[in-house]
Amino acid sequence: MKSTAVKILGLALMAAAAASIGWTADPARIVVMNPQGIKPEIRKIPMAARPASLDGKTVYIVDTKYPNTKPFVEELHAALKAKYPATTWVLKDKFGGYMDDDPNLWKEVKAKAAGAIVLVGH
Amino acid sequence: MGVPAVPIITARFKELVTTISYKKGIPNMRITYTPHPITDRPAELCRQYIAGNDPNSGQPMLGQIYAGLSRPLSAEDSKAGFLPREERTRLLPPDTPEHLMEYFHEQGFTDGSPVILPTEEKVAEMLRATSRQPDEWVGQMRPSPPHEAWYYTVEMVAVNAVMAGARPEYFPTILALAGKGVTSMFSSTSSFARMVVVNGPLVDEIGMNTGIGAMGPVNRANSAIGRCWTLISKNLGGSGKPGETYLGSQGNPLNYNNLCFPENEAGLPAGWKPLHVQKGFKKSDSVVSVFSGWSMSDIAWYSPLPIYEVIRGWLEHFFSFGTTQATLVLDPIVAADVAASGHPTKESFAKYLAENTGTPGWLYWSQNEKALEQAKKGVEPYAGWLRQGPGAVVPVSRYTRGAAAGRNPAFMASRDSNETSTSIEIVVTGGGTNTFWSGGDFGYVGSASVDDWR
Repeated sequence: MKSTAVKILGLALMAAAAASIGWTADPARIVVMNPQGIKPEIRKIPMAARPASLDGKTVYIVDTKYPNTKPFVEELHAALKAKYPATTWVLKDKFGGYMDDDPNLWKEVKAKAAGAIVLVGH
Repeated sequence: MGVPAVPIITARFKELVTTISYKKGIPNMRITYTPHPITDRPAELCRQYIAGNDPNSGQPMLGQIYAGLSRPLSAEDSKAGFLPREERTRLLPPDTPEHLMEYFHEQGFTDGSPVILPTEEKVAEMLRATSRQPDEWVGQMRPSPPHEAWYYTVEMVAVNAVMAGARPEYFPTILALAGKGVTSMFSSTSSFARMVVVNGPLVDEIGMNTGIGAMGPVNRANSAIGRCWTLISKNLGGSGKPGETYLGSQGNPLNYNNLCFPENEAGLPAGWKPLHVQKGFKKSDSVVSVFSGWSMSDIAWYSPLPIYEVIRGWLEHFFSFGTTQATLVLDPIVAADVAASGHPTKESFAKYLAENTGTPGWLYWSQNEKALEQAKKGVEPYAGWLRQGPGAVVPVSRYTRGAAAGRNPAFMASRDSNETSTSIEIVVTGGGTNTFWSGGDFGYVGSASVDDWR
């Protein structure tokens, strides 16, 4: 029994060695290096808990001010007010251009609003 | 922000938004899409869009927004931790060269043309051209500010240098470029281009072409170094995937080689400093400088006017996306003519141009809405300028440092601080076969020492 097991193990090792030799010695196949860089790990951010209803609550509509999109933003504001009158919809322009951050506005949203809609061009 | 949020995005950017949401760690972000585009659309059309459905989900837009802010979260939505990413292996699985080349194309590792396959032997040969260790960090790069940065070592840069067809002696220049951490394929719906200018003793050492055809495909060093920057940007900086990490609507052919050329320092008029000396380096330093813009025009023009005046007139009426910055690439005989006409330095010529160029009326008014309002109310000097009509030149220069700093703030923030007093840069290259020159909307981004990477 023992000698059979040894034989099987030996054959398996020989087969692996042969496969390995074939693998690297095949002149038609080559090994090349990975040209890509290292991607960072992605830390998952839990989403903010939703209120059961927006009735009686305030939601900010934040316009990031992509050029020539004001008509859309104003129409969205009007449509939300008309369809959901129990919610207060506040239209706010973000500071600076569309690529600028506005930490003060985010603080204001957190302090005063139950949610935010952020409009990004184009 | 810590409060429920629903972004509204135009439908054209679904791929971009989906991948960015994932990479930012919020894969289930509740996004509502509108038909694309919404810029310059009348209110009536916007009203129709808003009353209609999200073109991706098919759900009514307003109801989807409301639900996005109020629908309870799933267990997955509330979970913290890490999102899965594929593992990076140093070597790729063995295969035939033909299959590997196809694999490289399919994976977006190339610029669409064949590359040299980076075997360990070829990469080792490249690495011998620098004293830096293979596992030393070179830098990080991202397609544009909202995107994640990727990181890379000396060895990873060497892999891309091999692929671009670079000789080992080009490698320190390529490392210096990679170390700047600036992508050559900046992701914006406008199709950015970059430019590389090399200065110093290295230019002759590695056989770069400063003469006839310096900006064309006639020299291995000029070509391979420029090409390599784009491979680095794609493979080490995560750039160049259409719809996700590259959004240039039409793309830019300059991205193939990034206008890589050396300055013809021997062709500079007496008193005109080489670019790298202008930027604070010693003449004996070898330096690579990076510019950003969109387009370059070749001006082959004979005129009874002095050539500096033709350049001034071109700058005044030149128009592209980059309206507040310019780079002139002068042939040595043009530079000599300009110098002989009373411009003893590059800086004095740039200053002359900035101070003596106005802005075409139609362009000025389209960029200065508040001034137009003042003009319409009769406030001077705006009202007087407006009365002259859209074809008249408004006496306001576009090429002061202040004007340049007002454009693309996120991009401008990446620039080095040693800018000149104007936003006009001047570089000299070419073989002196005629009094021609090139000009474009490129602005200086920064420079890096090549010697630091030898």
